[in-house]
Amino acid sequence: MPSEQELQISPIVQESVMHNSRTLYNLQSLTASLFGVSAGILGLESYSGFLFYLVFSLLTAVLVYVLRVAPTSLAGGKPPLDTSRYFRSPFEFWTGGLMNGLAGYILTWTLFYGLVRA
Amino acid sequence: MAQVPMQTIHRDPQLFYWILFPITIVMILTGMLRHYATVLMASDPKKLDQKAMREQRALLHGMNLRANYHVLSKPSFTARRDALITAFESGAYLKDPDSRGQPPPNPMSDPNAMEGMMGMMKNQMAMIIPNTLIMSWINAFFSGYVIMKLPFPLTIKFKSMLQAGVATRDMDPRWMSSISWYFLCIFGLQSVFNFLLGSENAANQMAQQMNQIGPQAGQMFGPGVDPNKQFLAEAENLAVIEHHSVLDGVEQRLLEGIKM
Repeated sequence: MPSEQELQISPIVQESVMHNSRTLYNLQSLTASLFGVSAGILGLESYSGFLFYLVFSLLTAVLVYVLRVAPTSLAGGKPPLDTSRYFRSPFEFWTGGLMNGLAGYILTWTLFYGLVRA
Repeated sequence: MAQVPMQTIHRDPQLFYWILFPITIVMILTGMLRHYATVLMASDPKKLDQKAMREQRALLHGMNLRANYHVLSKPSFTARRDALITAFESGAYLKDPDSRGQPPPNPMSDPNAMEGMMGMMKNQMAMIIPNTLIMSWINAFFSGYVIMKLPFPLTIKFKSMLQAGVATRDMDPRWMSSISWYFLCIFGLQSVFNFLLGSENAANQMAQQMNQIGPQAGQMFGPGVDPNKQFLAEAENLAVIEHHSVLDGVEQRLLEGIKM
């Protein structure tokens, strides 16, 4: 955590951080619904379904990191897997998708499971 | 270990067309309607008279100075601070300087305050009325049907919630009735609305309630708050600031930055 003086020397623009988080949130909720569609079509049940969701939302986070964050973040001298250049907390970046998308995932999973299997 | 045989229930495929799809479509359309109703009902911010505007802006000026003092040099900061503190303490920016020290008027009697409350009521109504209507519509038309099976097992406790209106004792709690599909829609459709209406939509009541908990900027100048006390508090806040500038020691940092 940078000290108060460092923050004042190189300030963080609140609007940009909010825009980043919102973009990430949109991506997460949209992909969660699509994962639900695919899990329902595959006919996954109980644990395998939730595992599918866990793996794929983490994969989304990794892909976002590799494709969007890493090129400028590594060039800016940050250590690998560090997202502080664009996001407030690493927790929000890596695991926020699990919470944001869960309701949408369950909805589409149930819907397509019902349509395809039952 | 013996496996419990899986229950299969043969359902008419027409159930999907006449129950599942109507509920889903109605939920999505209600969300969109709520979004546009909120957009249309949003009242313009009221015009303030010059004195009231000056009072608010002066207070904001003090706050901004307190938040951004580090970009000012020391003499210019002290000049601003001294001017603001004298003005705040003498009440030069007050809307009506004669009423200093008197208790604030009753917020209920102020017509401006009533307007704000009406706006809040309207938003609440836009949430409550469609929900009640849809709930009673589903209860009236679709109660007692089993339409779907959840893809994950649940404990027996959920049975009364998911299978409301279906009085079958031995049925697996995974089977759900139409009312539980309605609840799933309430929680899960936010992503669909995000996709359809953009991320700042007002379609989902859950997100709206989250927003209402958050801090409101309008509250600061709300009715029942004594502006004179706010000014005095702000003057005190300004007085205790220990000034330092971002340019302190900038030569040192520059030299470190260009070192070979």
